[in-house]
Amino acid sequence: MLDYVWLVPLFPLLGVIFNTIFGWKLKEKVVGIIGSTTIGLSLLVSILLLLDLLKLPEHHKIFELTLFKWIAAGSFAAEIGFQIDPLSVIMMLVVTGVSFVIHIYSIGYMHGDRGFNRFFIFMNLFVFAMLLLVMANNFLLMFVGWEGVGLCSYLLIGFWYEDNNNADAGKKAFIVNRIGDFGFLLGIFLIFTTFGTIDFTDVFHKAAVNFHVGDGTMVAIALLLFIGAVGKSAQLPLYVWLPDAMAGPTPVSALIHAATMVTAGVYMIARTNVIYTLAPAALMVVAIVGALTAIYAATIGITQFDIKKVLAYSTISQIGYMILACGVGAYSAGIFHLMTHAFFKACLFLGAGSVMHAMSNNTDIRIMGGLRKYMPATFWTFLLATLAISGIPGFSGFFSKDEILWQSFSSSYGNFWLWILGAVAAGITAFYMFRLVFVTFYGKLRADEEIARHVHESPKTMTVSLWILAGLSVIGGFIGIPAIFGGGNRFEHFLEPVFEKSAAIRESAMAVHGYAVEQGHSLEWTLMGIVFAIVLLGIGLAYLMYIKKTDLPGLVSRRIKPVYQLVFNKYYVDEIYNALVVQPIKNVSDYLLWKFVDVKLIDGTVNGTGYLVRFAGRSLRTIQTGFVQNYALVFILGVVLLLLYVVFI
Amino acid sequence: MVTIFFFIFAVTALVSAVLMITYKNPVYSALFLILTFFSLAGMYFLLEAQFIAIVQIIVYAGAIMVLFLFVMMLLNLRQETRLPIGRPFQVALGSIFALILLIQLFFIVKVGLTVSKFGAFPPEKINKIGSVQVIGGELFTNYLFPFEAASILLLVGIIGAIILGRKKLPNEM
Amino acid sequence: MDLSLPVIHIQSIYPQMILVLFAIIVVILPLFVHNLKRELLALISVVGLVLAYFSLINLWGQNLTGFNGMIVGDNFSIAFSIIFLVGAFLAVLLSLNTVENEYLNYSDFYSMLLFALVGLLMMVSSTNLLVIFIGLEILSISLYVLAGIRKMRVDSIEASLKYFLLGAFATGFLLYGIALLYGASGSIDLVEIGKYIQANGFSGTFILAGAAMLLIGLSFKAAFVPFHMWTPDVYQGAPTPVTAFMSAGVKGAALAVLLRFVWTIAPLSKADWTIAIWIIAFLTMTVGNVVAIAQSNVKRMLAYSSIAHAGYLLVGVLAGSQLGQASIMYYLLVYTMMNLGAFGVISYLGNSNKQENLNLRDYRGLGFKHPFAGLAMAIFMFSLAGVPPTGGFVGKFYLFNSAIQAGYLWLVIFGVMNSVISAYYYLRVVVNLYMHEPEKEVAVPKASLGLSFALLIAMVAVLQMGIMSSSYFEFFRQAVIAMP
Repeated sequence: MLDYVWLVPLFPLLGVIFNTIFGWKLKEKVVGIIGSTTIGLSLLVSILLLLDLLKLPEHHKIFELTLFKWIAAGSFAAEIGFQIDPLSVIMMLVVTGVSFVIHIYSIGYMHGDRGFNRFFIFMNLFVFAMLLLVMANNFLLMFVGWEGVGLCSYLLIGFWYEDNNNADAGKKAFIVNRIGDFGFLLGIFLIFTTFGTIDFTDVFHKAAVNFHVGDGTMVAIALLLFIGAVGKSAQLPLYVWLPDAMAGPTPVSALIHAATMVTAGVYMIARTNVIYTLAPAALMVVAIVGALTAIYAATIGITQFDIKKVLAYSTISQIGYMILACGVGAYSAGIFHLMTHAFFKACLFLGAGSVMHAMSNNTDIRIMGGLRKYMPATFWTFLLATLAISGIPGFSGFFSKDEILWQSFSSSYGNFWLWILGAVAAGITAFYMFRLVFVTFYGKLRADEEIARHVHESPKTMTVSLWILAGLSVIGGFIGIPAIFGGGNRFEHFLEPVFEKSAAIRESAMAVHGYAVEQGHSLEWTLMGIVFAIVLLGIGLAYLMYIKKTDLPGLVSRRIKPVYQLVFNKYYVDEIYNALVVQPIKNVSDYLLWKFVDVKLIDGTVNGTGYLVRFAGRSLRTIQTGFVQNYALVFILGVVLLLLYVVFI
Repeated sequence: MVTIFFFIFAVTALVSAVLMITYKNPVYSALFLILTFFSLAGMYFLLEAQFIAIVQIIVYAGAIMVLFLFVMMLLNLRQETRLPIGRPFQVALGSIFALILLIQLFFIVKVGLTVSKFGAFPPEKINKIGSVQVIGGELFTNYLFPFEAASILLLVGIIGAIILGRKKLPNEM
Repeated sequence: MDLSLPVIHIQSIYPQMILVLFAIIVVILPLFVHNLKRELLALISVVGLVLAYFSLINLWGQNLTGFNGMIVGDNFSIAFSIIFLVGAFLAVLLSLNTVENEYLNYSDFYSMLLFALVGLLMMVSSTNLLVIFIGLEILSISLYVLAGIRKMRVDSIEASLKYFLLGAFATGFLLYGIALLYGASGSIDLVEIGKYIQANGFSGTFILAGAAMLLIGLSFKAAFVPFHMWTPDVYQGAPTPVTAFMSAGVKGAALAVLLRFVWTIAPLSKADWTIAIWIIAFLTMTVGNVVAIAQSNVKRMLAYSSIAHAGYLLVGVLAGSQLGQASIMYYLLVYTMMNLGAFGVISYLGNSNKQENLNLRDYRGLGFKHPFAGLAMAIFMFSLAGVPPTGGFVGKFYLFNSAIQAGYLWLVIFGVMNSVISAYYYLRVVVNLYMHEPEKEVAVPKASLGLSFALLIAMVAVLQMGIMSSSYFEFFRQAVIAMP
């Protein structure tokens, strides 16, 4: 089966091609089935790949397949090739699995939409690009996937372009991401100049052999790549695009802006773990950014009233956890959380979509309430996913989050402060998630008559998907039960070959600096207990404020008004960016370079834009008196300067 | 002796060129242009390039200028209507740049080679063979291709002039 | 005086001869046959292009020199010539569009296009500055005429006149540079000048100033900042197929000559020259991209974008290696495809009710009403912005890669930054295509077959060059293998 890995990205691509050519004339149902089936087939192949990989001996779980040479320029070479190892297989399974479910859900959700076909084309294209990203065996191909998912994300955010805000949100996402991509691309260039290759295997091998821990180049590469991760994974300070990205259809938010694409940064760090391990300074930056984002976004989540916005900030916060995990060198814990998060966050978003479906596309939780009665399936799945994200023992989120928190404390890169940030963020997470559940599903329906009459449970295609994801949210964690519960963490064990170089590097580094103190299980139990207590506190507080004493939230927000305003307005970051970055650039281009230099100084005469429509005589007149002389003037200036430089200096 | 003649021709060429663009009457301008051509021809003589000097006079001062004058008379151009050259600061800027450029060029020539390298045909050789013969020989052997290419250039010029000058499109005729 | 005829190798100029022949046929034929359909004229031109193509391919690898070294039929020149042929071919297809009909006389148009092509071919296939100059003049005169060929339109005439005045101005510098180089070295052949420089060093005011002026003359043609001022006006005023052809062809020829020139003054890497070119490349990229942001007229925006692309290409010149040369050719081919394609869509849209529909707003909602044109435009924009997996991405990657290998890390950083900026305005077109409701009714008749064909070719080529680039690049590697 391993020789057929190319089938995995091929199926979605075929879906794209088929629907682009024929989809416009076909029935919705056919389009939807084709779109979902192609993903289903990819999922099937991925599962077979996993089984094959499990059969391989422990340290040979890496398989590479080169399709053809893509770019060859001098010593530079890049190929279209795939690398299949435990890490990429897990990512493939997450991507194809979650997107398969979401595709099925979308058949119901997008029913009757004008852009039904377009939607499925973009979604399939997204899956194709995402698979390219996780399957690539070199940095450049990964970058192609990276750009591709960004492009699809942008297209899908602006999907309902009738609303101008949506198109703007799409643009914002694309541009912010370009900043990240800029760092990523420079990182690739630096990798190439350092190692002379961009192939994963070669780069990591050379890095591990030729470079010492703390090497400056490694730090530079790691930080440049991290800029890319920050952009794509919506971390501080480039997270601003993700909340706006909720303008897209809800399945898109679930798939791209929660489960898969935004976690690409985490995958990238895990993939390049060797380089990061060689650069402890960069790891520290990663850990700090992750921890700060986790708590920062969580606080914003408390104040939002838009159901999707709450989930968006929650996503940012949860990715912060994953980044934190990578930052303390616990890559497999990060990937583990990535997977469980994909399940429960996708479930939450689809649940939110289901709610919106029932509420005539309203997203404001203040007009919801009591929906438990009207849509039980949505409620139960939503609740299960909430329990998972809050980290209630037994649910998937518990295992992965606990692993991260423990590592952030006990790892040689971790410390108490990272742990406390994570632990508090966990409590806040529990609080705002239960706030969401209580406000939305409990109490009385606060919507007006018109909307209230239409409240209904969603169709089968949607609820089935919800149940699947909810089930995964519950049991998904069992494959990685930590050693402390006697589980032996099979997930981590499976991933070991990917991170063995890092482990070796760390081992040797510690041999020099002395081992970190081996932490006993009792400490782990204690910390776990503390976190659980904080989580329970969060839930209890939510219960108190939103079920028992519903006037309390208003009271609190009035009491601490300045703080509340600050958080409610998302710390005014958007406004700050706008004032500091966006406007200046616009002004430079618009006023200084174009209006002034181009029009005033150079076009000289009246105004530069209107001359096209002038009459013949006036036009000739402008030629004689206005433009050409000025053009020549600039020309001569160039001549003078160039001669001055070339001849006289 | 040569130096004196050079300065006479050079000053004449420069002055008449300036006068040519400053005179408003196009006929005068044309006449000054002829004077410029003549002075240039004189310089060619000084450089012992007699053939080019003759060609300069026959082709430019003779044929082309006659054509110019004919066109002017046919069009009955008397006074050129002039528009202001540009805003004062643009004129000033232009003058400054031109001045700097002039100084630069002066230095380039002055500081540069005092004895420039001769090509394949130094004057003695040309004088021995004869200027016309040398040019003819070169044109039809070594420079055959540029010579032919120049004819294409002229062809393009002719066709282009017709295209732009023609009033009606052929399919309207 | 004894005369000996040089070795001619007449086949070395077959391509030029064929093109001249067809140019004359195209311009004369309407005099004898009335009511010629423009499709037939286009077909004749295409036949000429195809024949020229085969005669070029025939020369591949032979390294012929004809006319006593006046014509150099090396692979370098052939590769460039083929790129120009492709550009001309697409331009002919683009011209088969209904609206231009009212303004355009097709026999004139095609003959001038073919003549311009002759000029381009001449420029790239010689090391003799005299031939290069004559080629440049043939090219320029044809373009002056082409720019002003829509005589009913003021902006077209204006474009022509401006281009002519400034072009003559630039030519003056070019000639002066050639004269200075000749004065110092006693030759107008780049190879001989190169030998002189090797012997005497890249120094002396004559050589330095001559080189600078040559650079200036070429910079004007390639639209490098600050010799770019004419570009937006001329591109906007000229008929769209002409603009499309100009933007790729002229730039390519100027770069080819620049490349030849750069390796005659071999010690580029040592001379301070690199800094001058570095600055020009930086300015060209930056000014082009930043000013393009402020444009709302699509054609003008593409004009500024073409300035920016000239800057990217110059980065390859700076690399000063075979890799850089091959990258330039590669990028030039991609650029020809994507830019001509983009202009093709513009000319398609400009096809309604005598309106040109050049404003960005006119593109609103087009992606759905005209799925094919919309998709094509989106792909071209993504390629221009350098988004994978299009050819534009790979091409830019080749260029920057060659510069990095030559050690110009900072220039590459600026280049990448610039392509980030450029994404903004290219994307705006896509946003308007797909994410806005149409504001007004843009009634566009069905695209002509030729235009659709051209768009299809360009689209497929852009994607193919992005996905399977190595075979193309290998071809261009072969083209420069003999170069220093």
